[in-house]
Amino acid sequence: MNAIIVSALMGVVMMFSGILVKNRSAVTSIAVIGLLILLVSNILNTYGICSIQIDTKGLLSFEKFGMFFNSIAIAATLIYVLLSGKEIENAGTYVADYYALIFFVLCGVSILSSFNGLLMLFIGIEILTIPLYILTGSDKRNLKSNEAALKYFLMGSFSTGIMLMGITLIYGATGAFALGMGSLAPSTGLLMPSFLEVAGVILLFVSMCFKVSAAPFHFWTPDVYDGAPAVFTSFMATVVKAAGFMAFVRLFDNHTNILGPSWHILLGFVIVATLLIGNITAVFQQSVKRMLAYSSIAQAGFMLFALYSVNDLAKEGILLYAVAYSLATIGIFAVLIKMKDYTFDGFNGLAKTQPALALGATICLLSLSGIPLTAGFFAKYYMLASMVKADGSIWLVIVAVLFAAVSVYYYFRVIQAMYFKEGEAAVSPVSTAFRIGLLALAALIILVGIFPSLVLNWFYF
Amino acid sequence: MSTIEILFFFLSALAIFSAIMVLVSKNPVHSVLWLIAVFFAISGHYILLNAQFLAIVNMIVYAGAIMVLFLFVIMLMNLNAETEPQKHLWMKLAGVVSGGCFFLVLVSLVRQATDLNGKTALMKEGNIGLIKNLGKALFSDFVVPFEITSVLFLSAMVGAVVIGKKE
Repeated sequence: MNAIIVSALMGVVMMFSGILVKNRSAVTSIAVIGLLILLVSNILNTYGICSIQIDTKGLLSFEKFGMFFNSIAIAATLIYVLLSGKEIENAGTYVADYYALIFFVLCGVSILSSFNGLLMLFIGIEILTIPLYILTGSDKRNLKSNEAALKYFLMGSFSTGIMLMGITLIYGATGAFALGMGSLAPSTGLLMPSFLEVAGVILLFVSMCFKVSAAPFHFWTPDVYDGAPAVFTSFMATVVKAAGFMAFVRLFDNHTNILGPSWHILLGFVIVATLLIGNITAVFQQSVKRMLAYSSIAQAGFMLFALYSVNDLAKEGILLYAVAYSLATIGIFAVLIKMKDYTFDGFNGLAKTQPALALGATICLLSLSGIPLTAGFFAKYYMLASMVKADGSIWLVIVAVLFAAVSVYYYFRVIQAMYFKEGEAAVSPVSTAFRIGLLALAALIILVGIFPSLVLNWFYF
Repeated sequence: MSTIEILFFFLSALAIFSAIMVLVSKNPVHSVLWLIAVFFAISGHYILLNAQFLAIVNMIVYAGAIMVLFLFVIMLMNLNAETEPQKHLWMKLAGVVSGGCFFLVLVSLVRQATDLNGKTALMKEGNIGLIKNLGKALFSDFVVPFEITSVLFLSAMVGAVVIGKKE
């Protein structure tokens, strides 16, 4: 509860700081302090100290898993603001309002990590996405940004409509907002899901797939990620996406039996399609920003494994994946924002002019492709291990490994451009603090890659 | 057949007919007017279920405010039958196939839903939809989502201001 209340309050504080504080970098400092307060209050809540107790009538349930995820999301946002704060200041006129929206998104994240029932899921998803429509369109003079915002808004509204219809059908079938209640069959007296509930669950599944950009519903992702200002794409592709998966996993955690055996067929299809479309299309991209958008679709395919194999290993895996993927993507986007030219050629010869930037970007890309000794390796390993442990869907594991190999190709194209091609990479001025921050982030990725237990132990103690 | 059943079937037929007319009308303004008919028919259903508050709110908010918004958008964009964009034949076909599949699933689900057999909604009795009971539920059982929704509205307002203000 701490995280929900404090993040909402911090959002209000940021709104007012826009009126009272005129200095842009001061606004960023206030946001950093706010994020620190939020992080501390959430950690205190995790250990039961100074936690606000409110009777939520069973609509929210605060477990360690969810609160730990909150800490990850807040810490990732903190790293993001520290690295890319300068670009947020220059993204548009209303810096304080952008930070306020980011805090509201975090409020949505903490609702999604603790919802218990479809009503709170709906409110959480809406609080998560509505600020994003605005952030996508924050570059008002850029036609691409406007187009992306409108597209995201329209498509997002449709998927929200589909989700509401699913919730309505489930409510009509069971009379409650909880999932997986089932109703008593009149003839046998056994607990079985009503047919309306099945239809509702399928609609919910479709709309959640849309929110995390899984394959047949991914069409908005490249355009929105490409059109939005790169700083906000970074936030959308990391914290928000991980929160979407958190909600997805919580929603279908113990209730996969509603659909019976067809659940695994449905999910298997979505996973394979996501991996296929994400990886193969990323190969053909010319712009690094657009490549990263497709790669985020491909990474979503890996995260969906946690839904397929619902076990403890999958829970640990999705947390580790959230950490590894967020850190690496924030890092690579922080470098990308500094580039003048977003194409692959724009990275030519970066290693000569900016060795620190090139090194940081390389480690992030290695982590994204899952090379050992980086965080991404263990994230992928846990996902696949949970699949092997779950049951005999080995063919899916093989497909995933093959596509992971494909992903190495397009990630290494950037590394190749930076180190082995001649050229003058045009970079905006880079401060020493940014270099140190980026290298510290890279060190963190390697540290998590060598000792994944550093993250996972937190989950248990 | 009792009066309530006759009313129910009349309203249902009206709602479905108007909904189809929304889709097939060439002129967007006619579509919007048919949509208002849909909302009124659904409000009628709410009244049959003894949920007067919901019926009135549905009329005020949907048939009133949102429809005015729709009409404004149509007028601002100067949409009419001539400027309707021509969609590709394959797009239409794909839409028909996917929509038809979904319709098929829903119809077959309702047909097989044995747990719904012989059940009717509470007509003209039951007071759960009255404003007093609704308010009680809203401020006791559902007070947390009610309060948290304010964050949603706040973020939407901040967003509207950010989008609307001058650079």
